[in-house]
Amino acid sequence: MRSAGVWAVLAVAAATLALPLVLDSGGLAVYVQVAVSASVVVGISLLMGYAGQVSLGQAVFFATGGYTAALVSQAGLPTLAGLLAAPVVAALCALVLGLPLLRLRGHHLAFATIAVHLIFLAVVAQTDALGGSTGLQGIPLLSLGPVEVSTNQGYAYVAWAVLAVVVVVARNIVRSRPGRALRALATSETAAASSGIPVGRYKLTVFAVSAAFAGAAGGVFAFYIGFLSPGMFPVSMSITYVVMAVVGGLGSVWGAVAGTALVTVLVHYLGVLGTLGGMPDYAPSVLTYAVYGLVLVLTVLFLPHGVLPSLADWWRRRSGAREGRDRAGEEEREAAPA
Amino acid sequence: MIALLAHIVSGLAIGCGFALVGSGLVAVYRVTGVVNFAQGMFAVVGGLCASAFLGAGIWHGAAELLAVAVAAAVGAVTGLLALGRPGTAPMTALIVTLAVGFLAYAVLVAVFGDTPRSTPGLPGMTSLLGVPVRRHHLLVIGVTAVVFLALWLFLTRTYLGKALTACASNPYAARVTGIPVARMAQFAFVLAGVLGGVAGVLVAPLRPMSFDSDVTLIVHGFAAAVLGGLTRPMVALAGGVLLGVVEALVAGYGNAAYQTTVALVVMLAVMIWHAARRPSLHQEVTV
Repeated sequence: MRSAGVWAVLAVAAATLALPLVLDSGGLAVYVQVAVSASVVVGISLLMGYAGQVSLGQAVFFATGGYTAALVSQAGLPTLAGLLAAPVVAALCALVLGLPLLRLRGHHLAFATIAVHLIFLAVVAQTDALGGSTGLQGIPLLSLGPVEVSTNQGYAYVAWAVLAVVVVVARNIVRSRPGRALRALATSETAAASSGIPVGRYKLTVFAVSAAFAGAAGGVFAFYIGFLSPGMFPVSMSITYVVMAVVGGLGSVWGAVAGTALVTVLVHYLGVLGTLGGMPDYAPSVLTYAVYGLVLVLTVLFLPHGVLPSLADWWRRRSGAREGRDRAGEEEREAAPA
Repeated sequence: MIALLAHIVSGLAIGCGFALVGSGLVAVYRVTGVVNFAQGMFAVVGGLCASAFLGAGIWHGAAELLAVAVAAAVGAVTGLLALGRPGTAPMTALIVTLAVGFLAYAVLVAVFGDTPRSTPGLPGMTSLLGVPVRRHHLLVIGVTAVVFLALWLFLTRTYLGKALTACASNPYAARVTGIPVARMAQFAFVLAGVLGGVAGVLVAPLRPMSFDSDVTLIVHGFAAAVLGGLTRPMVALAGGVLLGVVEALVAGYGNAAYQTTVALVVMLAVMIWHAARRPSLHQEVTV
């Protein structure tokens, strides 16, 4: 069973590494977008599925990472330093914000994170050092040592590498002792605290880790796009990350990646459909919003554990092995949203 | 002094809008335990429909009432989706209402386009104790006062309202006494649609509205309602008015860019203060 999983991971890795070689420029843009968003969504999946906390402001940490990378590299430091600083600064912001905010839970936390998002946008738009509402222009290309990453293919591989690191870190957290403690506190904080789990510290740590993931993704995004403005990070962006996490299956690392890929690809190709001749000019945005809404409603009502865990569950039930069934039950408990 | 009073009146007016959105949240939350993220969207539906009906040549008054009716229907549909499957957990229902918000974006952009719209409110200025105020501001304040009075009478003096309150305080006991709790929850969504629609119709002449105005409306409504723990409509009224006045004063005497920020910081401070006072033991949901 375990070796089958390893083979599956290797197959996915090989396939995704080969993809940028065959994709056209439109396909590459979607590929980078999937890899970048998936890094954020894995963090949200950890936060919601394991720590039981909702964040509707994750794009703030994404943007923080982006602005950090941009400012560091515009200050004349190596761009790689900017990329490395992005997750660190995002995580520090999350620690500072999380101390007061994580006293809240459930819908209070959800609205508090939206409020933080709105405050962030207002502050960035008023701060000249961050380019104000017009934004930061002329972010240099990313250089890895002597090699300058200038092609979309290059950024596809950079985004892939960041996502790989995120997935490995997330898997290790989930399988560790703190990971089990997190699952316990998502079910009942009181019970977890009374069995000796430092609830507050663990929640804060996961919040910071998820912010670091988002920050790293934001760093890649900044170098890839080349400019940043507060208008690029609307509240709905944070919400779409939650949509992807829920669709993929909360608390499932691979589910987060699959959910992101599914939603992003659907939205992109329906958007392309919307720009075909004979369609009204508002069709792309209508189709985009409709996809987010429909996919989310259908998933929550009919596949409450998410697409990937439900598929895995169905596959194991079909194969019917006793061992498989035990594992499916385990997966299911893992994936159950708090 | 005159300027101060003028700021306060305009703050009261916009605050009444927040209060109406907040009371819609309260109406749903106290009965179902669901925080209805689509509440701001009800207001947007109300505002945009009013502008469309007025544009189609329907009289003032009738157009606004029709718009509120549409918002109520949207509320009913949202309720069906959020609660249609028995046993939907409140957090899941919150996510469903997020999804409804996205679906509504799609419909609103398709029907109304993505440019902000405004409606002509009550035109002209009048003088109140020597302070020049827009007549529409007074209309908003007056209508809100009437709506909240009606809401209060409804909740305390009618059978239906008392049944709603019963469901809010103890759903099990309410069911035992023969109150159809599920139908009451549906009704709460319709009520939320009406309150949101009224808010939208009243606010549209004050602030141009586009399909994505719902985020600021819902956050302000939540801020207003959270002061009363999301269960007391009258506290939501006080909270909304307070937020509106604070924002108007910040915009009038400080930097207009930070008016929302100040209100949001106040909301965060209140929520964190509340959470710090209550130990987590009491907040946990027992199923």
